[in-house]
Amino acid sequence: RLMQVRWSRYNPSFLEPEVNKELYQKPLEELSEEEKEKLELKAVQPIKAAPPSVSSSVFSDPMISKFTNMMMKDGNKVLARSLMAQTLEAIKRKQLEKYHKAPEDEKEAIECNPYVIFHQALKNCQPIIGLSSITRGGKTYQVPVPLKDNRKRFLAMKWLITECRENKNRRTFMPEKLSQELLQAFNNEGPIIKKKHVLHKMAEANRAYAHFRWW
Amino acid sequence: LIYTTTAVQRKNVGASGPEKYTEAFIKKQIEEFNLGKRHLANMMGEDPETFTQEDIDRAIAYLFPSGLFDKQARPMMKHPSEIFPEQRKIQWGEDGRPFHFLFYTGKQSYYSLMHETYEKLLTVQKYQDQLTAQDVPPQKEKRNLAGSRWLTKIELEEMLLEKLSDNDYLRFIQLLEKLMVLPCGDMEEKYIQKFTKEVPAQLQKVVIEPLKYDERGVAFSTGEGIRKTATATATVYDNGTGKITVNGIDILHYFPVLQDREQLLFPFQFLDRVGKHDMICTVSGGGRSAQAGAIRLASAKALRSFVTEKEVEFMRQAGLLTVDPRVKERKKPGQEGARRKFTWKKR
Repeated sequence: RLMQVRWSRYNPSFLEPEVNKELYQKPLEELSEEEKEKLELKAVQPIKAAPPSVSSSVFSDPMISKFTNMMMKDGNKVLARSLMAQTLEAIKRKQLEKYHKAPEDEKEAIECNPYVIFHQALKNCQPIIGLSSITRGGKTYQVPVPLKDNRKRFLAMKWLITECRENKNRRTFMPEKLSQELLQAFNNEGPIIKKKHVLHKMAEANRAYAHFRWW
Repeated sequence: LIYTTTAVQRKNVGASGPEKYTEAFIKKQIEEFNLGKRHLANMMGEDPETFTQEDIDRAIAYLFPSGLFDKQARPMMKHPSEIFPEQRKIQWGEDGRPFHFLFYTGKQSYYSLMHETYEKLLTVQKYQDQLTAQDVPPQKEKRNLAGSRWLTKIELEEMLLEKLSDNDYLRFIQLLEKLMVLPCGDMEEKYIQKFTKEVPAQLQKVVIEPLKYDERGVAFSTGEGIRKTATATATVYDNGTGKITVNGIDILHYFPVLQDREQLLFPFQFLDRVGKHDMICTVSGGGRSAQAGAIRLASAKALRSFVTEKEVEFMRQAGLLTVDPRVKERKKPGQEGARRKFTWKKR
C-alpha cells in the first residue's frame, strides 16, 4: 500500500538513529547474519540527527519522553518535565512509605522502582481491541477492531492524562493525582482500568458487526 | 541553436507527445553544434580537437557575461541531445498499423518490460527446478546490496519515454526484487544491472582532523556545530576533569534546564568519556534548546579526532554527527501561520 508521508526536511533515504549504547558494544561474532547485513546497509545510508529529547544515558526513556510530550501544553517542555519528575518522586515516596510499614514477608513484593511501576501501569491500561465507526447503508455501526501497538500505547497515555486533568480533581495537583492513578493502574484498579473494561465489553457486545471490517 | 530549458527540468518531456523535432532537424543541430564548437575553439585560441564541454562553458561565460541570478537563464551552448529531450518516434506506419504489438495498451514499453522481466523470472525458476531435480543445491551468491539502489520513478520514465503511475513503478520494483531474491547467478545480473544505480560512497568524504597540541602539551581538537540559527564552536581538551564552560560561564548557570545539560553530555556519555575531557565553547544565536543542540554537534565533531574509526561510525549511526536540517517553516500568505489556517467561517 502506498503511504503518503508528510514532507520533512530530511531526504526520504535518511534512516532513524539508534541511540542505545549496548547495541554498539556487542562484539561482531555475536551478531546474527541478518544483523550483519543490516549493519552493512546502514554503513552506506545517511542517518537523521538525534532529536534533543533523546539521549543515550540511563535516565532517558522513550515511553517517559512520549508521555511528557503528551502532557506538555503550549510547548512548555520545562513544566511538563518537572511535573513528570515530581510524579515519579511522589510514586517513589508512596512506595517507600508502604515498604517501611509492611511486615518482613511482604517487603519483597512491593515494587519501589517508579519506572517499572510506570511501564507496568501503562501496560495494564492498554486496551486490546477498539471500536471503529463504519457507515453502511446510512447507519453508523461501532465495529470491534484490533488495535496496533502504537494506538494502544497512545490510548492508555491519553486516558491517563485526561483523567488527571478532569475538573473534579481541581483541588489536587497533577503529580499527586497522576501518581495515584499510576499506582491504581499498577494494581489493576481505578477509573482508567474501568474505562478499558467498558471498552472491551462494548466490543464484545458489538461482536455481531465484526464482519464489517475489511482490513 | 534554439535554446530551450527543457533539458534542465526533471520532467519527463519525452512522454508528453509525438516528436516535435524531426530527426533530420536534430542531426542538423548536432552538425551546427560541432561546427560552432570548432569556431569557438579557434576564437579562444585553443585546440579544436580537445575542446571539452567545460571549456565551452567557460568560453561562453567569458564572451557573454550575464548578471542574471538564474543559472538556467544565462546563455548556454550544450550538445543538442541535452537541450532537445529524447522523444518517442511515431509508432505507426504509413498504413496506420502500429509497430509494437502492445501499442493499444497505452504504455507499450512498460508492459513489454514487465513481460520480459517475468519471462526471465520463469526461466530462472525453471533452472532452479532443474537443479533441484538433479539434487544439486542452488548456490546463493551474496550480492553487495549496500552499494546500489533501484532507479527512481523519474529515471525509469526517462528510460522508457512513457509516463508511469506510482503503482506501475511499485509493481516493477517488486518484480525485480523477486528476481533478485532467487539464486540467480550471472544470467540475470546483466539484466538487473540496467535498472540499478551505484550509490556513491558519500559517507567516506569526511576527513578527520588530527589532534593538535597546545603550549602545555595537552591534546585538543575543535569542532563547529549549527542548529536552527545557533552556531557553536567547541574545543575539547584531553586529561580533563569534565568541566564544561560556555561563553565563559559554567553550564550549570548557562543551562538551568536539565534537558540541555543532558544534550551537552550526550556525546561524552555515548563514548564513556564523561570525566576525561574538558570543554570550552562559544555559542551565539538561536534559543536555549538550539544552542544546546549546536554545542552537542560541535563537541561530537571535536571528539572524532580522539576516537577510533569504528566509534566514529557508531556516533554517526546514533545521529550525533548529522546537522539537523529542521528550521522554522515560513508563514504562508492566506494562512495565519505556517500550517494554521484562518478560522473557517461559513458565511
